[in-house]
Amino acid sequence: MKPIKTKDKTVLRALGLGGYFGGGAEGMVDVKDGKIVRIRPMQYGWKYKKEDIRQWKMERNGKTIEPTWKSLPGPFSLAYKKRVYSPNRIQFPMKRVDWDPNGERNTQNRGKSKYVRVSWDEAADLIAGEIRRVHKEYGYNAILMQGDGHGECKTINTPHGHPGVLLEYLGGFTLQVRNPDSWEGWYWGAKHVWGQGAQGIMYPAANIVKDTIENADMVLFWGCDPETTPWGFVGQFASRLSYYFTEVGIKQVYVCPDCNYGAAIHADKWIPVLPNTDAALQLAIIYMWITEGTYDKEYVKTHTVGMDKVADYVLGKEDDIPKTPEWASEKCGVPPWTIKALAREFAEKTTSIAHYFGGGFIRGPFAHEPARLECILLGMQGLGGPGVHQHQFTYFGLPRAEGLGGTFFWNPEIEERIALPVLSAVSAWQQQVIPKTLIQNAILSDEPITFRGTGAQNALVHDQFVEYTFPIPKEEKGSKIHMIWTDSPCRITCWNYGHETQLAMQSSQVECIVAQHPWLENDCLYADIILPANTYMEVDDIVTNIRQGTMQPNIMITEKAIEPIGESKSDAECVLEVAKKFEGMEEQMTEGKTTEDLQKLIWGYMGGEKLVTWEQLKEKSYWIYPTAPDWEEDPPGFREFYNDPEGKPLNTPTGKLEFYSEALAKAYPDDKERGPIPKWIEKSHNHDERLSSHRAKMFPLLIMSNHGRWRVHAQCDDITWTRETPTMKVTGPDGYKYEPCWLHPSEAEKRGIKAGDIVKVFNERGIVLAGAYITERVRPGVAYVDHGARHDPIKTGEIERGGAINVITPGAVTSDNCVGQIGGGYLVEVQRVSGEEMDKWRTDFPEAFARKYDAAAGLRFDAWIVDGGDK
Amino acid sequence: MKVFTVDLSLCNGCYCCQIACKDEHVTNDWTPYAKPQPDTGQFWIGLTEEVRGHVPHVKVTYTPLMCNHCDDAPCIEDCKVDAIYKRDDGIVIIDPVKCTGCKICADTCPHNSIFFNEQLNIAQKCTGCTHLLDNDPEWTVPRCVDQCPTEALRFGEEEDFKDFISEAEIINPEAGTKARVYYKSLPKKFVAGTLYDPAAKEVIIGATCTMKDDESGAIFTEATNNFGDFWFKELEDDRTYTLTLEKDSASKTIAGIMTDIDRGLGDIPMEM
Repeated sequence: MKPIKTKDKTVLRALGLGGYFGGGAEGMVDVKDGKIVRIRPMQYGWKYKKEDIRQWKMERNGKTIEPTWKSLPGPFSLAYKKRVYSPNRIQFPMKRVDWDPNGERNTQNRGKSKYVRVSWDEAADLIAGEIRRVHKEYGYNAILMQGDGHGECKTINTPHGHPGVLLEYLGGFTLQVRNPDSWEGWYWGAKHVWGQGAQGIMYPAANIVKDTIENADMVLFWGCDPETTPWGFVGQFASRLSYYFTEVGIKQVYVCPDCNYGAAIHADKWIPVLPNTDAALQLAIIYMWITEGTYDKEYVKTHTVGMDKVADYVLGKEDDIPKTPEWASEKCGVPPWTIKALAREFAEKTTSIAHYFGGGFIRGPFAHEPARLECILLGMQGLGGPGVHQHQFTYFGLPRAEGLGGTFFWNPEIEERIALPVLSAVSAWQQQVIPKTLIQNAILSDEPITFRGTGAQNALVHDQFVEYTFPIPKEEKGSKIHMIWTDSPCRITCWNYGHETQLAMQSSQVECIVAQHPWLENDCLYADIILPANTYMEVDDIVTNIRQGTMQPNIMITEKAIEPIGESKSDAECVLEVAKKFEGMEEQMTEGKTTEDLQKLIWGYMGGEKLVTWEQLKEKSYWIYPTAPDWEEDPPGFREFYNDPEGKPLNTPTGKLEFYSEALAKAYPDDKERGPIPKWIEKSHNHDERLSSHRAKMFPLLIMSNHGRWRVHAQCDDITWTRETPTMKVTGPDGYKYEPCWLHPSEAEKRGIKAGDIVKVFNERGIVLAGAYITERVRPGVAYVDHGARHDPIKTGEIERGGAINVITPGAVTSDNCVGQIGGGYLVEVQRVSGEEMDKWRTDFPEAFARKYDAAAGLRFDAWIVDGGDK
Repeated sequence: MKVFTVDLSLCNGCYCCQIACKDEHVTNDWTPYAKPQPDTGQFWIGLTEEVRGHVPHVKVTYTPLMCNHCDDAPCIEDCKVDAIYKRDDGIVIIDPVKCTGCKICADTCPHNSIFFNEQLNIAQKCTGCTHLLDNDPEWTVPRCVDQCPTEALRFGEEEDFKDFISEAEIINPEAGTKARVYYKSLPKKFVAGTLYDPAAKEVIIGATCTMKDDESGAIFTEATNNFGDFWFKELEDDRTYTLTLEKDSASKTIAGIMTDIDRGLGDIPMEM
């Protein structure tokens, strides 16, 4: 047989989709004849010998776990070729057909009218012209820059925030501040108990994996799915760790409304709780511990403040309602006997709690309450002691690497010029800012809006006590928003009340919207000018895969795999095209540096020269960090505080775990949603989303929504190969692949719903179509739809076909003084869509049903191009 | 001679085997080993998933299915143009050039492992990624095995897997085709429940649970754990069992439990 060529070259990539400079889930990309031929796990031994790299090992009961000698990427990472060559890629710059900057702008047609091709030069001229006009008429703060969120792992060409660099150099801009959308409760709640943490998650978290392996008897996966959310960040090591727990006898108890993908294979016990009712369950556990005396009283005395107030509330001395298991059972749907059994197991066994973003636990109305109650539960059992930790499971907590400076969150070492794009994703660094949760309010409201705390990810606890107003005073150059430049946007499908977002983006007050993105999806459909960005396969870059949850830290030069698709350019280059239209801006943006100059600089910021020469890094394309020889000496989690609460205090006002927060009591004495101690909040003027509500007569199901298993938020909804799996999409009788809505058979039967039916999930805020997936994997009383499906409007602001469930989430923020978002735990009803109803929509909104649709991949780019989209 | 081994107790259901196979074979032409796989609808290795039990006693079992590379392969026997052959390493290949598209192999494969490509008018299936094994020194295992994050799926010389094979089963033994894909931990039926005392509203811990096979008289026993749970995980298919639950002087019997499916019996009250 004649030999065949399997590849021309191999390049490296971080296949995670977290972005923020940081990488993970590494891979090797083989290229042949200018095309990606395969994407595969990275062999760490490609150019290094295993025996030359010091690696860690952990042990329990004579069984060991260590890093694998290759990476463990998830399915969308391995299928990313389909994303790169997606029929939904934006091929060239475009302008909305009925948007005329010198005449009618027809902003009401955003999300409806189609696009025509323009040249790069024309597009850049149009954008530069609009910037100049808006600056002159309203001032620079009239331009809102939305440049934040997750995306491909790149550093020089990071997918978010480049427009902010140009706008900053042109005077400034209004910044959309990204809220910690997967960590809401920790950010707004836990910070007030144990201090800053990592966006409120327990931090420091060094060595908690080792300590848990060695000492814990049980891990509670509370609203956590280790077989889903880690995939987009560090890959599948969490899966191996879970199997290892089983092997060494660490019990795994899952508390979540759905039998999630982790529970389905790892759980020793699944406790199906109703969405966003965990606070009731937690209070009942505290009740049990107080009445049975089964908590660490000595620790509570020396390490915490406010136990007496918590006890008064829990025992009913404050409101005459003892928070008994029977009381809690009514709220959370868990039988009282199971609550008691859980409380006793938790008290008896050395227990840690695990999370990994999202889930049903931390994104509901009043999310700060379950978060704070969790801190109290852990505090009552000796937090920081052997085996008692809170995990962001394999995101933090693995051994320290040698020679690695920061592993905190991204790479703080990267200095200003290159750090500027990502600064817009984590910091409220502009004068005029709007929390991302309040964007539509800021556009639609005639009154100024006020908020306490910006929600910026790197903001300190103190920020939650600062009042901000938008717009800032006129004399400080405040302005309403008249132009938006947005990159890789997905607000409609990933943030709060997306139906309202759509209407805000149609506002005539916003005269121009510019979007840049590789794919024509979600908020891009509301832009007036669209720039085609390219993917990480099409650019040279350098990526650090060093988060503390990664099993084998490394840094890699990511050589361009293929030439850019169509006329696309990198996110940085897209902005440079516009910068060229302003005198001196191109030079200021690039500082005359080449890509290699920048790669070298970043390597330098990492302290890389101390480890290996630039030449060697270039030659091998990557560097593997050895585990630090003294890694086992890093104190696990809060161990130092555990050992010496006076000498090693927490960074709370008292230095202790603040079960009661004097700071909150003083600053917000009238706050009934987030008081000084965490409570069960039945409802408020912001949220009336409990089964006890009169609304539940119309909308009797609570919605559960996680970050999707087959996507990273909005990323990767168009991959044909994942769309074939039974839980990614449900093919309706009309051939359209709908987002699944999980229902328990008992709920489906009540409604005459059969598997595969097209259903509508709805409340007062609108209708979302979905495909019925009927399963024992979700408890009765719940409708489960993951967020992030690709927006496909039937009627703007009212009816959604693509399954973007967040279009009907509550518009209100987490609570009065917390500008977090709601991502689940609200009321809906689900009904079968009748043929008549569908026919009526087809008649009333023919253009919505005429869009070109690829049965395998979904909506196509040309669906939105004039003359290209009609069937 | 090569074998594939599958340990279902380690399969996390990530579908990466199915996807890596597509990544290797869709749009890539590896003639003479294989022509491109269609983008969707074919699963040269395909994962099936089964949701088992009832709230709150639920498990999911995933099973990867692929060509068994049979030693007595009906497809080789039935092919009229000798397009299907077995390599020295045991891998069965459909020659994409010789195949005339008669479909007989796709229709008669007892394992449903052969697909028909209407566009190319050829039968197609797993090639064991032999184009990689033969031509690229980096490769010693097929794509599906290389990516498996938990080592549930493995590939290698039969004698290196002797121990595994001695405890393993094949998935469709009645076909009698001498399959080369071996499975461990194929699921048996389970019956589970939570026992509680309705008056005290407490789970009942340490109750003796006895499952009796009505037909054979075989007896299985378990004790309820600290959540009041019992799990019988090793039951035969399609039997009828009688469950007896006992603690102190209290007892309860549930007859007629059929194992046509896995069963979660939910919360079971027992007056103490």
